[in-house]
Amino acid sequence: MMQASRARLFKEYKEVQRDKSGDSDIKLSCDDTNIFKWTALIKGPSETPYQEGVFLLAMTVPEQYPLVPPQVRFVTKIFHPNVHFKTGEICLDILKTAWSPAWTLQSVCRAIIALMAHPEPDSPLNCDCGNLLRSGDDRGYQSMARMYTRLAATANKGNH
Amino acid sequence: MDGSCDGGDGVVDAEWSCYRDDDIIQQQNAIQAEEALKIPFVGDKESLSALAAEYKTGSSILKAKIEVLDELYVAIRRTRGDGNCFFRSFMFSYLEHILETQDEAEVEHVLKNIEQCKKALLDLGYAEFTFEDFFSIFIELLESVIPGRDSSISIDTLIERSRDPLVSNYVVMFFRFVTSGEIRRRTDFFGPFIMGVSNGTVDQFCKTSVEPMGEESDHVHITALSDALGVPIRVVYLDRSSCDVGKTEVNHHDFIPSNCLLKEAGSETIEPSVVLLYRPGHYDILYPRLRSETPSL
Repeated sequence: MMQASRARLFKEYKEVQRDKSGDSDIKLSCDDTNIFKWTALIKGPSETPYQEGVFLLAMTVPEQYPLVPPQVRFVTKIFHPNVHFKTGEICLDILKTAWSPAWTLQSVCRAIIALMAHPEPDSPLNCDCGNLLRSGDDRGYQSMARMYTRLAATANKGNH
Repeated sequence: MDGSCDGGDGVVDAEWSCYRDDDIIQQQNAIQAEEALKIPFVGDKESLSALAAEYKTGSSILKAKIEVLDELYVAIRRTRGDGNCFFRSFMFSYLEHILETQDEAEVEHVLKNIEQCKKALLDLGYAEFTFEDFFSIFIELLESVIPGRDSSISIDTLIERSRDPLVSNYVVMFFRFVTSGEIRRRTDFFGPFIMGVSNGTVDQFCKTSVEPMGEESDHVHITALSDALGVPIRVVYLDRSSCDVGKTEVNHHDFIPSNCLLKEAGSETIEPSVVLLYRPGHYDILYPRLRSETPSL
């Protein structure tokens, strides 16, 4: 089991090295000593309150990977309805029930960027944020999200 | 894709808000592990009376149908009800058939089709490294049931491998890739059927109902897999539907791919060698009686 996941992760690693210039919004790196631990720096998508922010994701890959999804959470604080404000847990179907080995760590990052641009307020992990959007207070949501992006996800005040 | 979980909404009990998705997944895994103890991925061959025993106090239609089945089939082999039972049943039934018949032409034919499936996935934009491991595990298993090769295996080893989580799940995933590739490749054909069973696009259907492990299979999946591999499949339906007049009959449906080997050989009536028993929500393997065998009464 472990061998299979290691082999797959090694392929992903090689792919990331080969394709370094490919996706400038995602910087995936693997822990030097443990191929089951990865981090990613993702750029907040433009025309969202996350733009200009850079967010750190921590990825823990289980031994049964790629039959089961990686565990991914935001390390950088983010105000988003589908991200737990305290733990950084992400509510995204492909990280739960809709996972398949056709996804990769790289494409998971792309899906998370897409989730940042398209919040799903009806299934919130951050209820305060979800409620702002559900009640139509887009301005409130935008300003809170932008504030946290500035506080936590920009270079001078960032936590990484 | 969408965010689709509920975390501690104000309406929900405070107690529930302590449960994180990871906890829920862990609990699901625990339930699955408990189920796993009850039945392996692929069970032992049992006589059809084991099936009758399940319905001793059940509906009379079902009892009558099982009597009809008993005339045609000699045994059943159960598979675990984990959402992968169709693929798992197909895997075992097909490989056991190859092992027994030693049909090398069939293996060649299927290997050729697998090569086409691989091309289809690449054309659809799948990265090769995401599916190649699943393909190679199936091909290895397929080649091992053919004789005269160093690695050829016995039925006991086939059973053992089919119960090994890595091999078994990787083969299921191989079929899921093949099925998804076939559906996407023939969107025009499958699109209308998919519109009838889900409200999403073909792409969404493949992403949410074909590729993820544990998603149950239906007519669309079976058609696609049978077509892609060129392997005919018979599904026998054991349900409460009945005809008003005449004697009890058990319905079956044959999935016959246009490019199957028997058709190429000009065979007029095709008897699929893979025969599955469908009860609403679940597939098991059926073993047809040989013509010489008379039913036990």
